Amino acid sequence: MPKHIVSGLKYLATIELKKKGLTQQKIADELEIDRSTVSHYLNGRNISFHCINVAETMTQLSSKDFLILTHSLFKNAEITQKIISICQSKVFKAEVLDTCIGCGLCVDLCLMQAINLEYLKANINSIKCCGCLLCQEGCPTNSIKVLEV
Amino acid sequence: MELKVNQDNCLGCGVCVVACPVNASISPEVSGGHGALKEDTIMMVENGFIKLLNKDVCEKCGTCQMFCPVDAIWLE
Amino acid sequence: MVVNTKEVTDKDFNIKRLAEELRNLSFKDHICIGCGICESSCPVSAITVGDMGAIIRNNSPQPKLVIDEHECVLCGICSGVCPADALTFSIANQPISEIPAYPKYNADVEIDDDKCIYCQKCEIACPREAITIARSLPDRSKLVTGEIEIAEDTCVYCGICEELCPADAIDVDRTPEAETINVDKDKCVYCLVCKKSCPVTAIKASCRICSYGDYDINLEDAVTKGSSFIDDELCIKCGWCEGVCPTEAVKVKKPFEGLLKIHQDKCTACGTCVDICPCDVLSFPKPAKSGDIVDNVAKEEQYCIKCGACARACPVEAIEVQISNVDYIPTKSKSWSEKFEALKN
Repeated sequence: MPKHIVSGLKYLATIELKKKGLTQQKIADELEIDRSTVSHYLNGRNISFHCINVAETMTQLSSKDFLILTHSLFKNAEITQKIISICQSKVFKAEVLDTCIGCGLCVDLCLMQAINLEYLKANINSIKCCGCLLCQEGCPTNSIKVLEV
Repeated sequence: MELKVNQDNCLGCGVCVVACPVNASISPEVSGGHGALKEDTIMMVENGFIKLLNKDVCEKCGTCQMFCPVDAIWLE
Repeated sequence: MVVNTKEVTDKDFNIKRLAEELRNLSFKDHICIGCGICESSCPVSAITVGDMGAIIRNNSPQPKLVIDEHECVLCGICSGVCPADALTFSIANQPISEIPAYPKYNADVEIDDDKCIYCQKCEIACPREAITIARSLPDRSKLVTGEIEIAEDTCVYCGICEELCPADAIDVDRTPEAETINVDKDKCVYCLVCKKSCPVTAIKASCRICSYGDYDINLEDAVTKGSSFIDDELCIKCGWCEGVCPTEAVKVKKPFEGLLKIHQDKCTACGTCVDICPCDVLSFPKPAKSGDIVDNVAKEEQYCIKCGACARACPVEAIEVQISNVDYIPTKSKSWSEKFEALKN
């Protein structure tokens, strides 16, 4: 029931955003859901514990698995990026070595759209980086190092 | 690319053996039209037909193919 | 999944990756000189350059270059270092030669139309047939001046003048009872051959240049006009055009400086290098007189671009090409700079 897991992830994101002090309307806009759904989530209604459990389990997977599963559930890059950045607490620092040839493969691989090319060298936005290592694994010259901080 | 021969076409004229630059550097006497003194040339004529001896040392320059009058030796 | 696609047309191909932006590497076989620079520069060893001797000398159906599209990461380095522009890499349909962040060779060729006299020597010398010199000659009738008249009552329409006329200016119709003779004054050069050969002295003609000089010739009418065109895709900046130009109208800027060494002792005169060289630099020398001993292979080094295609194809390692300097517009990318610097040996 992918739909239910999507709800579970949105529930988790709602809770996180509430903790940050966002209003229900802002949360609804951010996650592209009804304000009433936000209200239901925050009051623990309309969602089964099972869905929340599965969603929580997903957040505890490796960053790569969490990202790929989420992306395959939502089939939308933008909302995937939001869910991942809201629900994932880990912080990463990415470094690109001078051996980078500017092939742009990492740019195309990054589901978080955290990479762009500057003067034929990849530039990784560590804030957007979710640590999935897709770029590091795909880099033909082993020029990317992503570390959890 | 690989050096190939077709003995059915071969006239045994030996032009390829003489023209081959690798043969000439391995066994200089062949470029003068003599038989090689060693058996480590790429090819030689035996009983009137071309025979490949050491095709691994071929540098694939295409000289033999260019000079062969009957398409009996070629690279493909 | 990010995957490359490959389209093949005869011996040419395009490798594409469509994601953030369309990246496209295209190869044109007829422009490739087989130097192997792409092969040695490719960071992922995706390129294999074929056995150029066998391919060029025997009209092989094989392409000069093969790229494994699954290995290729579409970085564009091969295109950047290709001295012949046989590989063109573009991002979002813009070639990297037009994108300032990418390095490129400082190479150029230019024909100064003010100095060019349209002699076509460069067009004939160009080993790549990259030059076209179009010219329009002056009107011949404006370069001569004179008078010619034929007395039809005296003329016997023998046709001798027509046969002799070097300019095909005379037309004689010898149909009995309907004979005519006509002179085309646009073609006549007033050489007076007709007048001298006429058996009945029917032709009166005079050349005014002979008696008065060319005072009534307008010098502007005597000028050959034209235009020059260089096919940038085919041109490899070898400098033959500059070398043969009698008016110093051509300037060529080559990207590589270096040396071409032929070890005559190793050379067996197979001619592979002579056939491979894209610049017609190498040839078999002819002895000045019978019995003279000459080198196996001769070189005209001023036209060499130091591409190394000959050294790569030589089956007996008798040729060495050394690049001592590479002139290119620099880049901030260290890895790309290293690739350009690595061409020096």
